[in-house]
Amino acid sequence: MSETAAEDAALDGIVREYRDIGITLAVLAVLPAFVVEAGMTYQARLLVLFLTFASLTIALNVVFGHTNQLFLFVGALTGIGAYTTALLADSLGVSAWLLVPVSGLVAGSIGLLVSYVSARRGMTVIVIAILTLALQLAFGEIFVGARDITGGSTGIPFRELEVEFLATALGETGQIALYYVLLAFVGALLVGYRLMMNSKYGFAFKAIRQDEIAAESVGIDVVKYKSIAGFAAAAVIGLVGPLYAQSEGYILPSMFAFQSIDVLVLVMLVLGGMRTLIGPVVGAGVIIYVNEILQDAGQWRTAILGGLLIALFLYFREGIVPKVRELRNGELGVSAPGSVLDRLR
Amino acid sequence: MEATALIEIAIDGIARGLLFALLGAGITLVFGLGNVLNLSLGVFSVITVVAGVAVVPYVPNAVVAAVLSLGFVAVLGLSIDRTLLSSVYRSNGEERILLGIFTTLGLAILLDGILYVYYPLNYSFPYTGLSLSMGGVSVRESTSIILLVSSALLLALFVFLRKTYLGKAARTVFQDETGALLCGIDPRAIRSLTFVLSVVLAGVAGILWSTQSAISVATGFELTIFAIIVSIVGGVRNIEGTIGAGVFLGLVITFGNFFVGAYVSMVILFAVVVTVLILRPEEIA
Repeated sequence: MSETAAEDAALDGIVREYRDIGITLAVLAVLPAFVVEAGMTYQARLLVLFLTFASLTIALNVVFGHTNQLFLFVGALTGIGAYTTALLADSLGVSAWLLVPVSGLVAGSIGLLVSYVSARRGMTVIVIAILTLALQLAFGEIFVGARDITGGSTGIPFRELEVEFLATALGETGQIALYYVLLAFVGALLVGYRLMMNSKYGFAFKAIRQDEIAAESVGIDVVKYKSIAGFAAAAVIGLVGPLYAQSEGYILPSMFAFQSIDVLVLVMLVLGGMRTLIGPVVGAGVIIYVNEILQDAGQWRTAILGGLLIALFLYFREGIVPKVRELRNGELGVSAPGSVLDRLR
Repeated sequence: MEATALIEIAIDGIARGLLFALLGAGITLVFGLGNVLNLSLGVFSVITVVAGVAVVPYVPNAVVAAVLSLGFVAVLGLSIDRTLLSSVYRSNGEERILLGIFTTLGLAILLDGILYVYYPLNYSFPYTGLSLSMGGVSVRESTSIILLVSSALLLALFVFLRKTYLGKAARTVFQDETGALLCGIDPRAIRSLTFVLSVVLAGVAGILWSTQSAISVATGFELTIFAIIVSIVGGVRNIEGTIGAGVFLGLVITFGNFFVGAYVSMVILFAVVVTVLILRPEEIA
């Protein structure tokens, strides 16, 4: 094989490897043109919300899907990110954009600490779930209670991550501009996710998830890899925090409550498909859409969401993306009824 | 600060602690026997109060209403155990724990949603109690009811688990499911029994709670959290520990509320949980 042919093949490989990411991003890039009618900020807000939750779900996929650490304090970490940027920007007087990485670092360190301690203490998934839930509620109390710093339940207005230059360049509203900022972020997350899973980290995660003791015995540093996953996920969540606050224009403790973030992110992850690249994005899209349709159901919305959650976890734990993959490979006829029958037995 | 005031706070704290203990026992029973962390426990407290308040006008007195509402919640608990939890119990080990968390979370949201539609207000159960006064220390009527009912109930639970055949069978399942099966105990039937028992305990706790502060749908999740905290601090498979932890945390939060304010005492409560989890994670797993 000549040198150019080898290069071509390598390039081909890269193209094939990143084609799904490219297609996803291309679809998301043209989405506003189809969904948002001129001057409709409401739909633009939903799109921003969609990418916000997609990012959070991608993060949870890494830490829960791949290393079995059930983080039930996604909301608290988002809040920590938002408050860090907002409060530092206020007191330091520098551009909030410079402080977004600080938010990532602060939230990431908390994730690192939690993962490190829980891995060292040999906590199982249930203990990590309860531990992080306790942290979630403690931070929730602090957000409301430390009124002098956080503004308590009245909250603080936050509009310091405006992307006016982008908005004018695109000739669009601020929300749409924010959507494209988030899209770039999601793109980076997807590429990062693919790189991570194809590297030694991905293999280590797989080994740890299947059998921690066996992984330890072949020389995988379980504590290290779990801590890395915890840091990476929490840092991403911390980065999303200020962007989420920007899209809402406000920082309120209730925005970061267990019921308003963690429940949704979990459903999105399971529905879309754990341990898949596109699953979190698909899950986030479907749930934001379903939630929107349920507005018509008015008061019954919460009840329907709860029923959906039960049905999902009992009968549809594989998720949409793996299901579609099976369908495409023509395996559905065999496996799906089997798994359903198995559940009903 | 006067001694009588301190004693009064301590009595309130113990009453609050006994309520915590009832809730915690609800979590401990179901987690210990079936590895299901029931995140919907608090909703059953709310449902009991709502049902009780709804039937009060049609029955001669509040006690009858309480008994009827507890009967209703027991039937509801049994039907949920037979349908939803049967699906959960089909899986094993860690998968069951996760599935249990998720389905009971879904159940909590579902029931919350239904309650929001029909009963969106605050509810408190009507009661008549005795206000006591001894040497300057006075006990509120509602506190006296809580002290009497919950300590009697916890004592009954204790006797049930220690002395009766069913209780012993339940404790066997706690310790070793396969062993229990070999002794001719049907773990599934025992689990149904304890699930119903746990929602009834939560129901009683709800009714008693509502005599002091009105209950709304949002209170449900709060009560679940208290229940989990108490159960974890006491050791999730240990009823005596749960009761002790309940009283201890009740005193902590009541004195905390008095001396440092509500929000700091809640943070202290969560700090206790985090500390316990870090020190003894193997007890929960």
